[in-house]
Amino acid sequence: MSDKVSSQIEIATIAGDPTTDPWREFRQVERITLELTQGYKYSLGKYSRFFIELENRRFMATRCDACAKTYAPPRPLCPSCLQPTTWQELSGEGAVETWSVLHFSPGSNADVRALETPFVLAYVLLDGADTLFPHLLKAPPEQVERGMRVRVAYSEGPVQHPIHLMYFVPVSTYEEAP
Amino acid sequence: MAEAVLDCLTDAGLDDLSAVEHGLASYESDHFNLQMTLGAILQDTIGLTPKPSVRIEGGGATGALALRTAWAHVVSGLCDSILVYGVEKNGRGVSSRTANQLFALSADVDWEMMIGGTYTGFYAAMIRAHMAAFGTTERQFAHVAVRNRRNAGFNPIAQKAMDISVDDVLASLPIAEPYKLLDCSLLSDGAACILLATEDWAKAHCPRYGERPRVYFSASGCGTDTMRLGDRYPQITNFRAKREAARQAYDMAGISQPLAEIDVAELYDSYSGVEIQAVEDLGFVAEGEGGPAVASGAFDLDGELPVNTSGGLLGRGAPVGATGILQAIEVTQQLWGVADARRQVSDARRGLTDTHAGIASISVVNIFERAD
Repeated sequence: MSDKVSSQIEIATIAGDPTTDPWREFRQVERITLELTQGYKYSLGKYSRFFIELENRRFMATRCDACAKTYAPPRPLCPSCLQPTTWQELSGEGAVETWSVLHFSPGSNADVRALETPFVLAYVLLDGADTLFPHLLKAPPEQVERGMRVRVAYSEGPVQHPIHLMYFVPVSTYEEAP
Repeated sequence: MAEAVLDCLTDAGLDDLSAVEHGLASYESDHFNLQMTLGAILQDTIGLTPKPSVRIEGGGATGALALRTAWAHVVSGLCDSILVYGVEKNGRGVSSRTANQLFALSADVDWEMMIGGTYTGFYAAMIRAHMAAFGTTERQFAHVAVRNRRNAGFNPIAQKAMDISVDDVLASLPIAEPYKLLDCSLLSDGAACILLATEDWAKAHCPRYGERPRVYFSASGCGTDTMRLGDRYPQITNFRAKREAARQAYDMAGISQPLAEIDVAELYDSYSGVEIQAVEDLGFVAEGEGGPAVASGAFDLDGELPVNTSGGLLGRGAPVGATGILQAIEVTQQLWGVADARRQVSDARRGLTDTHAGIASISVVNIFERAD
């Protein structure tokens, strides 16, 4: 380690035959630590009402009447007819279509860093919707199955990203502890 | 990257790049590389200035989309020769956690990344749907993890050849169930370079022209799909974009029975099960039959259609911007007949490369053939 470069990780030499390697003059490689952190004033744009209504414990989708399609997550623009959609509230109940049990968390924000592994990432077909909504399902991984009835539960926060004002729970759990 | 470019020049028998008319930089991520407009630096590094250059990005399909774009430059007549150089530093620069965060930025950030999603998780949910629909098993996709890492042992540039068994894969650490550690492809640093030219340009400028069978870029297809898996409901078991890309490429190449008419293929095995989905979507077998076909050895080195002879993303490695180019190099070397004898496919005359971005929001299929 260098006492002149505080961020130095290593100086490594890449293996090669020094008699034939055309890059033999360049095989020493120094690695250092760099820290680069950005904060964003991030707009949720035309999706904003979905997140604002989560604070009111309401689950909103968007609907295109012309195409008879309901989008959850919401799409402000119907991709089939290119007309703006309208907001529509759903009950928040639905069924698990597919899922994964994640044993590794990327820690994408403070809310995710607070999760304990393993956790369940579920794709839910909400009653009244035509697309699958992905979110955390707070249920024992071994009990999750296709077709399992779940519903949206709301968090009082505070959360960093408003998508974490909601998550899914099994309907049975929700009825036990509303 | 400079090493890959010089290797390419040596292979072409060129002393320098003075006759090359165009550059094309292939890389996915400003975040991983910690450099924006990296293409300008690369063009400068290899002395291609002041000639024209363009940067191509298409997620995991970046390298194949770069070659497709370069091919379009040549066949349109915009230039007669173009150097396609691809590079990525996905491997040693950041931790696995940071790498997964950065890759997750290429998912839909608001709806998929912020809930804690990772690509391993999205792919896992998809293969679970495939398992539910068709009875595909973890043991079947473990076969891909074993075979591709074994093939990597016959490839001197491979990052991680391994001699493992199906049981080793099944016993490895769960990452995002049903995917386990050994079902997951590698994070890699790497580079690759291809010089694409018209036949007349190659005759005029490449001293080694004619030494090997002439291989030409015969067809290309590109398909797209919704960003989020959930928006594809109820079609969530397979890759619609890949089917579209394959359809276009097969039409262009005049292929009607891909399993019989293609001799070697490099498939996008970002996760072991993805290769099962790919052999279906590329029309090698019918939908739902990929699992049993893969497990039967049909795509092994001694099978009906050897795939991922290089070791694939699982064994050779996956430096994103270079991956599609590495696939094309492997296929070309197979068609030339110069691959290591242990992985050389005998009398290979037509080869295919398959890559996609995300969970196939963009998919590119390129086809290469011997002219003789």
